[in-house]
Amino acid sequence: MGATMAEKILARAAGVEHVRAGENLPVRPDHMIAYDFPGYTDVMFRQMHDDFGIRELADPGRYVVFIDHMLTRGDAREEEVHQVTRDWCAFYGITLHEARGIGHQVMAELGYARPGNFLVHFDGHVSGAGAFGALGWGVRRDLLEAWVTGEIFLDVPASTRFELTGEFRPGVDSRDLVHRIIGDHGADGCAHQVMEFGGPGARAMAIDHRQGLCGMAMFTGAVSAVFEPDSTALEYARRVAGDGFVPQYPDPDADYRAVHHYDLASIVPQVVLPGSARSANTRDAADLDGTAVTRAFIGSCASGRIEDIRAAALVLDGRNVAPGVELNVVPTSDAVHRQAEQEGLLDVLRAAGAHIARSSCDFCFGYQKPLQPEENCISTGVLNISGRMGSTGANIYMGSASTVAASAVAGTIVPAQEVTGR
Amino acid sequence: MSAAREYPPPPDVITGRVAWVFGDDFDIDLVVGVENIKSYDADFLRGVVMQAYDPGFADRVRPGDVIVGGRNFGYGHPHYPPMVALRDLGVAAVLAESFSPGFWRGETHNGMPLITVPGIAGAVVTGDALRLDWRTAAVTLDDGRTLRGVPPSDRVVRVVEAGGSLKLLLAEHSRT
Repeated sequence: MGATMAEKILARAAGVEHVRAGENLPVRPDHMIAYDFPGYTDVMFRQMHDDFGIRELADPGRYVVFIDHMLTRGDAREEEVHQVTRDWCAFYGITLHEARGIGHQVMAELGYARPGNFLVHFDGHVSGAGAFGALGWGVRRDLLEAWVTGEIFLDVPASTRFELTGEFRPGVDSRDLVHRIIGDHGADGCAHQVMEFGGPGARAMAIDHRQGLCGMAMFTGAVSAVFEPDSTALEYARRVAGDGFVPQYPDPDADYRAVHHYDLASIVPQVVLPGSARSANTRDAADLDGTAVTRAFIGSCASGRIEDIRAAALVLDGRNVAPGVELNVVPTSDAVHRQAEQEGLLDVLRAAGAHIARSSCDFCFGYQKPLQPEENCISTGVLNISGRMGSTGANIYMGSASTVAASAVAGTIVPAQEVTGR
Repeated sequence: MSAAREYPPPPDVITGRVAWVFGDDFDIDLVVGVENIKSYDADFLRGVVMQAYDPGFADRVRPGDVIVGGRNFGYGHPHYPPMVALRDLGVAAVLAESFSPGFWRGETHNGMPLITVPGIAGAVVTGDALRLDWRTAAVTLDDGRTLRGVPPSDRVVRVVEAGGSLKLLLAEHSRT
């Protein structure tokens, strides 16, 4: 029986010929990534230094730290948190990437998410690296194990294969697909597994949408997600990282837990009801028509990339955000921000009444402009549990950038087609 | 990030009662309420734990009791304080039909035995007595029935025996 992509990536990283799902073994990540957050990185650095006596890292180039949270209040506490991170990174010789955008996007732009690579982070949205054929795994506090030992013990996951055909229709993207997958197979449909994407639909999908799809893998119960690297992914990787990678592909007779087929042209806009992304909360956006919103948000590590901003601009061009609605757009990185500006997309959004904010994670977790009680928000954020974006009395619906833009124009939740006619 | 209190490793055989049975896709944050998930103050958490389910919970739970879940237990963005609160009351293990990976990884790191036992959610009700051999995932109910779960890997056994990943790592790698 052949091997899945995840098995091949982990075997290479573990330095062994083969691994099989179910095996537990130590694996050496190519990069061990974190963002600074109080109680996480500051504690881990202190533990490395004080508890483990580590004064020098064997291989500091494998450690990557981003400052992408808590950038928008500009107060003393914010500065203090980040200074601790700067000091520790300087002490250990770790490259720190500060305020260049959301780390899960910037890691791709800087060439960390290379085909065939294995990455760990405490945050599960590192799975977005799968767009490039890399395996990114959110290991929570066990990141400390990787930081201290250079390796991490893992149960090799089984994989579920998703064979994709067709192309998304206008106003539909990978956010709709992932929520449809959850609706069809449940919030544990891929539990403890890796989602492996391939087929002509996968090759036709924009890299941005692949990143958004892989970044949401945890809501199917998966530990990660990977696309078979195609010419699009390889060209991107070569541009940012040179040839220093070994792409991995699944064997034709790879052993999958399940194989699911999706025709992307059959996917219609999806919206997730407040609470969580579980199956029972997934609806066709058209079924929620009439649900009033006061806030709309396009951004996050899942959906603030150039394709999302282009989609929003298509909807907002020549239209206005409805009175009483605040639309905030946060490009996923500074590079995305610059490109959106150069393409004139941000002018379109501004003319429609949208607010454009500096790239950070701050809207997504309720740090910047928190929601007030009784507010309804339609969001491309990654999470809609109570209190995620501010008050526990606010409601968060989730949808694609097209759906959020259209809902901001209508003042109620609607699929983009109802606004654009396309 | 760190729990407010430390807990010793569990005994070889955990003897107690089923303190509560949760359903499928249960979000552990709801144990203390979303508004309280940032607190690590055990005394504060004791006053809010399980208030939405059973206001008398904190007074009746005894050391060795377990909680039981359905499929995908711990779904969501599982924060640590709810399990801090439950452990503080004496909850010694979690048995579930299956676990959400993030919750499983995070609480295994903390040294909590999380044992997958197919059929457990329908086999017990709150108050049932049971014995759990967590290494072999064998659950013996008061009426003599035995359920067989999925034994944890050797590495996870070592993590739990050590009282959590940090303690195991310190034992294996500390240079101080």
